[in-house]
Amino acid sequence: MAYVYIPVQNSEEEVRVALDQLPRDATDILDILKAEQAPLDLWLIIAREYFKQGKIEQFRQILEEGSSPEIDEYYADVRYERIAILNALGAYYSYLGKIETKQREKEDYFIQATKYYNKASRIDMHEPSTWIGKGQLLLAKGDVEQAFNAFKIVLDGDRDNVPALLGQACVHFNRGRYSESLELYKRALQVYPWAPGVRLGIALCNYKLGRFEKAKQAFRRVLQLDPDSVEALVALGVSDLQTNEAAGIRSGMEKMQQAFEIYPYCAMSLNYLANHFFFTGQHFLVEQLTETALAVTLHGPTKAHSYYNLARSYHSKGDYEKAGMYYMASVKECNNAHEFVLPYYGLGQVQVKLGDLRSALTNFEKVLEVQPENCETLKALGHIYVQLEQNDKAQELFRKATKIDPRDPQAFLDLGDLLITTDISAALDAFKTARNLLKKGNEEVPLELLNDIGILHFERGEFELAGETFKEALGEGIWRYFFDAEGDSPGHEEQLSPSRRVRANLINSAQYPVDASSSIRQYKDLQIFHRLEEQGLSVELPWYKVSTLFNLARVFEQMHDTESASVLYRLILFKYPDYTDAYLRLAAIAKSRYNVQISLELIGDALKVDEKCPDALLMLGDLELKNDDWVKAKETFRTAKDSTDAKDSYAAVCLGNWNYFAANRNEKRAPKLEATHYEKAKELYTKVLLEQSANLYAANGAGMVFAERGQFDIAKDLFTQVQEAASGSFNVQMPDVWINLAHVHFAQGNYALAVKMYQNCLRKFFYNTDSQVLLYLARTHYEAEQWQDCKKTLLRAIHLAPSNYTLRFDVGVALQKFSASTLQKTKRTVDEVRATVAELKNAVRLFSLLSTASNLHFHGFDEKKIETHVAYCKHLLEAANVHCELAEREEMQNIQRLEFMRQMELADESRRKAEEQRKVLMEKRKQEDELKQVMQQEKHLERIKEQWKSSSSASKRRDKPQTEDEEGGPGEKRKRRGGKRRKKDKKSRYESEEAEAEVEDQEEEMEYDDTNMSYRETNDIQDKEDIPQDLLAAAGLEDSDAEDNAAAPSNMNRRRRAWSESDEEDEEQLQLQRQPELDDMEVSDGEANGGGAAEDEQ
Amino acid sequence: MKLAPLSTLQNAHDDSVWTAAWVPPTEDTEALLLTGSLDETVRLWNPEGPEKLQTNTGHCLGVVSVAAHPSGRIAASASIDSFIRVFDVATNNTIATLESPPSEVWQLKFNPQGTTLAAAGGGSASVKLWDTAEWKLIATLEVPRPEGLKPAEKSGSKKFALSVTWSPDGKHIACGSMDGTISIFDVARAKFLHHLEGHCMPVRSLVFSSAPFDSRVLFSASDDGHVHVYDAVGKTLISSLSGHSSWVLSVDVSPDGAAIATSSSDKTVRLWDLKMRAATQILTSHTDQVWAVAFGPPLRTDVRSCLLASVSDDKSISFYKYS
Repeated sequence: MAYVYIPVQNSEEEVRVALDQLPRDATDILDILKAEQAPLDLWLIIAREYFKQGKIEQFRQILEEGSSPEIDEYYADVRYERIAILNALGAYYSYLGKIETKQREKEDYFIQATKYYNKASRIDMHEPSTWIGKGQLLLAKGDVEQAFNAFKIVLDGDRDNVPALLGQACVHFNRGRYSESLELYKRALQVYPWAPGVRLGIALCNYKLGRFEKAKQAFRRVLQLDPDSVEALVALGVSDLQTNEAAGIRSGMEKMQQAFEIYPYCAMSLNYLANHFFFTGQHFLVEQLTETALAVTLHGPTKAHSYYNLARSYHSKGDYEKAGMYYMASVKECNNAHEFVLPYYGLGQVQVKLGDLRSALTNFEKVLEVQPENCETLKALGHIYVQLEQNDKAQELFRKATKIDPRDPQAFLDLGDLLITTDISAALDAFKTARNLLKKGNEEVPLELLNDIGILHFERGEFELAGETFKEALGEGIWRYFFDAEGDSPGHEEQLSPSRRVRANLINSAQYPVDASSSIRQYKDLQIFHRLEEQGLSVELPWYKVSTLFNLARVFEQMHDTESASVLYRLILFKYPDYTDAYLRLAAIAKSRYNVQISLELIGDALKVDEKCPDALLMLGDLELKNDDWVKAKETFRTAKDSTDAKDSYAAVCLGNWNYFAANRNEKRAPKLEATHYEKAKELYTKVLLEQSANLYAANGAGMVFAERGQFDIAKDLFTQVQEAASGSFNVQMPDVWINLAHVHFAQGNYALAVKMYQNCLRKFFYNTDSQVLLYLARTHYEAEQWQDCKKTLLRAIHLAPSNYTLRFDVGVALQKFSASTLQKTKRTVDEVRATVAELKNAVRLFSLLSTASNLHFHGFDEKKIETHVAYCKHLLEAANVHCELAEREEMQNIQRLEFMRQMELADESRRKAEEQRKVLMEKRKQEDELKQVMQQEKHLERIKEQWKSSSSASKRRDKPQTEDEEGGPGEKRKRRGGKRRKKDKKSRYESEEAEAEVEDQEEEMEYDDTNMSYRETNDIQDKEDIPQDLLAAAGLEDSDAEDNAAAPSNMNRRRRAWSESDEEDEEQLQLQRQPELDDMEVSDGEANGGGAAEDEQ
Repeated sequence: MKLAPLSTLQNAHDDSVWTAAWVPPTEDTEALLLTGSLDETVRLWNPEGPEKLQTNTGHCLGVVSVAAHPSGRIAASASIDSFIRVFDVATNNTIATLESPPSEVWQLKFNPQGTTLAAAGGGSASVKLWDTAEWKLIATLEVPRPEGLKPAEKSGSKKFALSVTWSPDGKHIACGSMDGTISIFDVARAKFLHHLEGHCMPVRSLVFSSAPFDSRVLFSASDDGHVHVYDAVGKTLISSLSGHSSWVLSVDVSPDGAAIATSSSDKTVRLWDLKMRAATQILTSHTDQVWAVAFGPPLRTDVRSCLLASVSDDKSISFYKYS
């Protein structure tokens, strides 16, 4: 027990005061002190004792009394003690100022403190403790430079002054010069190993210097020395918490709690506790703690932290207004994103929630400045950019996020979502990565993700992959058994477990057999599921899986596994009878199998669910068109258009098509009506194009109208563009535009191009099975006068569509035309003529078959007309037979002539040889003669010599052989000339024969021409028509020759007419009604639904 | 079961090959393949090699069907000009020329007993039966037309008879039409029995099962891309096989009855395992529509396997070994 002894004035006695039993009322003690004029150090001791006991009031009372003017006067020469008292007061007020949170009072306290220190300085301006006090005060006021000077003064005097050292260390610490600060602390420790706070200082310096282990050691030491050191507890707690391990966090929290129990007003520990309770979800505690923390501290960063905690608490409770307010406060408190970035993030989040995207953007960008690699922020920013529709920036951010953290599935998901509309394959990659990451992390891959991946595969045409993905997404369920039952993959059967096989068999037996007569109604049959249920199989289909199941069914459809698809659609309808899309897909399947009745019924079912369902209406309209219900179809299309507020471009295009068909349809041409229909069609197409410039179908339609009006170049441009666009996209199938383009080529006379285009179209879109396109092709060959190709093409068409008798008729016409044109040729081989005859026979047979068939009303031909053709062909055949005979005869003659020539040549040859021989002989003879002559001359000479008397007879004899020679030459020549002449004669005879033949030919040709003419109904030349011609004329058998020859219509007109289905006979014969392409509907509605399906799932 | 491609004969014809049939082996010859084409010829092939044995001319306008008599000595071919030419396989001598206007001719099939030749009569909506001894028309099996239709109505051609086949016992005939219905006839009484519904598009090929206990089972190939399996007597649909992406042009059943082969406009030939009811193999040796598939008789060397031939618009013939 400690005592102080107050000496009693003027005596040896002392008053003993037990320090732990100081009276509550300090006045008692003061009275004693005053009365006994006790030395001032006693005053100080007692005051200090009061302070230690927490009796601040008494402490202050004593010291204030002890520094009163009377005391100054009385103890004027006791300088040190007086200074000490003043300093104590100064320190006390400094402390008060330091802990005061209200600015005003704070100032007041500091002023008080300054007053006392100044007073102390006045007593002795060199007293170090005063300087130290002043330094502390300045520190508390934040005036670091001044504080530095104050401490320096002390230290200059005594370099081991511990308080000054500590003060200076503190100054350095605040200036951020931690190593210097550390040095000073160390020195202080050397000088005075028990100095309070030194170790704390060392620990903090080490901490700031990043030497966490040393810092921890130091803190522990502090704690050993002072188990109640709140700072040490908090510091150790923080470092424990930062280990981020469960044990560390627990012990950290324990320390925090301890600190809190020791001193409940440490903002730091309050914040950390609040933080803890935030995570445990005890928001009430969070608020209490942080509010206390806020009340006890002025320290900006700490306050920022507290506000942040508070904000976070409100944020997590969904009170965004308040959260935003507190985040804002937190941001204001620290005002420097680099020091405390979290509130910026929080603020950004709240602002996004509150819809203030711009502000959120700036806040997130601030976070990013501090932490440029923060994925969460990158993603958050990305989302904001998505909402601001700056997709490029968003993409960039998400890409960055995925690069920084390639193991964050969410980032890939976001990226994928973003890319879906722009870059399918990139989106797919992103989704796949996300899926793999989730799988690696053993997390469940969400159904939506798998569904998305499946859809993207679907869009890319990778149906197998799409199917697998959808199956994975669906997991176990009744559908599994269907797959098993369908045995959809080879080698599947073996892997089935017995129980699954039993179920598969169950399903099979529930499905089949069906009565054949009701089998066409299979697509409407839901009984199968009832049967399955009766057999104890639970038929369940959770709602959230319906979309995926639907998508899977779409995949099956695309893979032509229509049976599986139909079962799945029906399963959907069994559980959710309002799912119109399933009805429509079933209707589409039925339609593609030409099961019109059921298709109509299914559409009807869909309309029962939603009578304004535009997809259903449009399909219905399409079917009605197919059924030739024109008026109904138009009504339906109208309703569809109205039900979508005229926003559905498809409905508009359909109406456009309708008008287009209507213009073409009228058999009796009413130009006015036609024009209005075209105008209307064009208007509709143009309107759609204005809204969606990329609408291929509308562009195609517009092209058709242009083409109908003869503006082929514009049409061609349009079609070409549409074609390019369509071939660039995987899931747009537009055979129509190919056909239309080919039509334009055809109309412009580019037959070769048209042929190529038709062929490509057939191969690319129809598996070469479309007889109509074949017919277009045949017609092109026909116009290009490629008869064989024309015939072959038509035969192919017949093979594909055997019941289309018009095709047979067309073959007949093609053969007839071929024959006629061959016979018209001036030069032709016998083979050609023979072929002509054969083909004519075929034509006759075809026509006569048709003629007999027409009795049975197989087809809609006019019997008379066919008979006319038969008659004409027979006539032609007769003519051809004549030709054939002629040609054959000619050929025979040719052969004979050739033979003769050959013989002639042979004769010539032999003659020449003979002559040569003769020449040789002659030569020989000549030589012999000459020899003879020489001999004779010699003889003669001798004779002359002998008989000089008579020489006249000899000279005569000498002349003779010469003349003989001369005569021989011309004789030869004559002979030769004679030969020639004979030849010539022969030739001319041939020629005349040929000429005759030609004349005949010409006559024949004339006849044909006549017939042709008469077909043309311009029979102004000759009137020797015989009966068949008459008939032909009567049947109106004028053909396109009329156009070729008559040259009356302008070229353009001709083309136009060729394009626009003129009534001219041949076109009619060939039935080349370019029936506006109904098919695009099929394609597009499939597409529309497909798209719908995919969209639905999004 | 498996199909192993053996060889593909390119440019076997000058134009699209439209039809094929196996000529059963005789004492002198192995099984041979007959093919008919748009090039107006019928050609005979020895699968060994494969080697062309003969080119028969005489048809006009594309050969649409060929059929071989069970004896392997006689065969018939038909073309778009509606003539049926019956000829001696070995010598190519014409035995008879058949026609019955206005009926055109599509598919031809001899009955298993070899006494009758059935011809699908196109627009006449009937099957014509020809006696093979005297080559006389012995019966016309009419497909009943739906009542209440005006004769001039377009739908008249809907019952257009396209395909025909005999049941293994020769007692029934099935006939496929353009509108997808299949008609079953009792041959002995020349009587129509009933329709089998299910298809709504042309049925271009029909075949009865060859499995001993499944003789009522009929397979039908249709433009709707499906193959239906019917019980022709019980009037029920047993199964529906989908997978082809375009018209199914031809179907044939393997001699063991365990599998069928189909060919399609989608250029593929598929082998279906009937137990699994699924396509076990997809063959893509052709580059255009495959108009016909035909299983040959069991091989003499290995009775459990046989040949399969397919012919296509790409002018080629492909041979496979089925085992």
